[in-house]
Amino acid sequence: MGKTVQRTAYDSFRHVTRIILLVLMSVIVAFPLFYMFSSSLFSASDFNNLRLFPASPVWENYTRALNQKFFWRNMLNSVGTSILASVLRTAIAVLAAFAFTYFKFRGKNLIFTALVLTLFIPQEAVLYQNYRTIAKLGLLDTWAGIISTSLFSAAQMLLLMGSFKAQSKEIYDAARIDGATDLRYLTGILIPLSGPAILTVAIQTLIVTFNSYLWPLLVTNRSSSRTIQIAMTMLGYAESGQLGPQMATLVIATAPFLVILALAKKKIETTLTRR
Amino acid sequence: MSFKKSGKKKHFQNKAYLYLLPALTVAAAFCWYPSVKSIVESFLVVNQGGKVIGFAAFDNYRRLFSDQAFLHSIKVSVTFILLFVPANTFVTLLAASLTRRPSRLSFIPEYIFFTPVAVSLSAYSLLMSDIFRGEASVLNNLFSTAFSGITTPAGAMAVLVILGIFLDFGLDYILLMCAFRSIDRSVIEAARMDGAGGWRLYWCVEVPMIKNTVLVTIFLALKDALLISAPIIILTEGGPYRSTETIMFYYYTEAFRSGNRAVQNALASIVLLIAGAGMTVYSIFKRKKEAL
Repeated sequence: MGKTVQRTAYDSFRHVTRIILLVLMSVIVAFPLFYMFSSSLFSASDFNNLRLFPASPVWENYTRALNQKFFWRNMLNSVGTSILASVLRTAIAVLAAFAFTYFKFRGKNLIFTALVLTLFIPQEAVLYQNYRTIAKLGLLDTWAGIISTSLFSAAQMLLLMGSFKAQSKEIYDAARIDGATDLRYLTGILIPLSGPAILTVAIQTLIVTFNSYLWPLLVTNRSSSRTIQIAMTMLGYAESGQLGPQMATLVIATAPFLVILALAKKKIETTLTRR
Repeated sequence: MSFKKSGKKKHFQNKAYLYLLPALTVAAAFCWYPSVKSIVESFLVVNQGGKVIGFAAFDNYRRLFSDQAFLHSIKVSVTFILLFVPANTFVTLLAASLTRRPSRLSFIPEYIFFTPVAVSLSAYSLLMSDIFRGEASVLNNLFSTAFSGITTPAGAMAVLVILGIFLDFGLDYILLMCAFRSIDRSVIEAARMDGAGGWRLYWCVEVPMIKNTVLVTIFLALKDALLISAPIIILTEGGPYRSTETIMFYYYTEAFRSGNRAVQNALASIVLLIAGAGMTVYSIFKRKKEAL
């Protein structure tokens, strides 16, 4: 009896500690985002007075953010490159994964190894040489320049191969006998069957491209060809102490992904949790 | 008949190459070619225009290692790695542990812990540079503290570690939390029946079962810490007093601001070597684990 009481006391102590830690950590992790939303409504004096909430919300920050000379252009560059990269990178990985899972050909192992070994090469280490290549091809300040270096991911190819291997090869043979071309089999059967994996790859590329910083910074020089992630660091409000419109730009560029994440959270969890 | 069959097979082969062509082109142009070129050119004398004008043997490497700024950047990177990797592992593991069992309201902290994946590097860097802008900062005002933020060397390093954790937190949390939830319930129930509860259950049953995922996050943290440069460009520009000039920030300034090709190629080759060695160790380790 005594033991049970002790146990419960200990359990509730653990429970309370857990709740306190959880609240504390949630507040810390959420703080920069809270500050982003709050300070997007700050006046210059709110920044100087180190406030947590605006004295009175300055909605004008948003109109100023939207009226920046290149805002829409920069946004279009970001959205355009992300969608383009997402489609092309997914297509390239799908084709490669398809070739490796469905065909026998000479040099298969060698080619596979060569592609997987790209995982060993961090893009950061080849920045300069890739910059030279893009410059030589005349692709500076273009969408192609922003996306072309990252159009193949071995990790995504491996992920797709895992998913393709789970599909029965007999369906492929049957489809072939029925006269379906590879393209028809891919678009009509394999891609719909591997939906979650392909969606994962596409969304991952979309977010990574939209949020990328260093490479777009290097290959763009003109204000009109920059992506929003680069533009937001170069707004020049810092000097005047008027960070409000800058924070509003951050909110505009971040909020859509927070919504997508809220919608996709359950899906991500079920994809990654093996039961 | 057999003749026809082999003909068909040949047809298949060619198609496979066609499907692999885009992947191979990108990999060759933007992974293999620049890597090989960096390594080859690191042993050559290359002029500003990119023309090879002589053989340098190890001169480029010697120049790199006699540059005080580079030697300093090694020290900065090692400090950053030693601070960031343990701190990041501790924080992400703690967050995942606290939410490892779903409950009625747990979707709130879970969503909060997911959010860092949706926030871009430049957004977090800009936010941190304002939140920790100096002694006059919103947090110091709130807690009546006097943290110097990015204005002193030690403060800037601390802010960089915090920023690094925010950048890695989302993905690490998702991986670890899902690993915890993938543990077979029956194993936990069996351990409970044997009287293991609380700490014992956590440390002796649950943590060992997600050991592989923890190692993956540690490996990712190591890689990110070694390669960190972009947040520094926004946050501190390497300062104050070069206190946040990591190896890759040094590389960035040498390659893109000073146009120092010799040093650039030598350093790129060293990073490729380290990354290659690291990945080799990791994949051998992983294969061993999978074989077990």
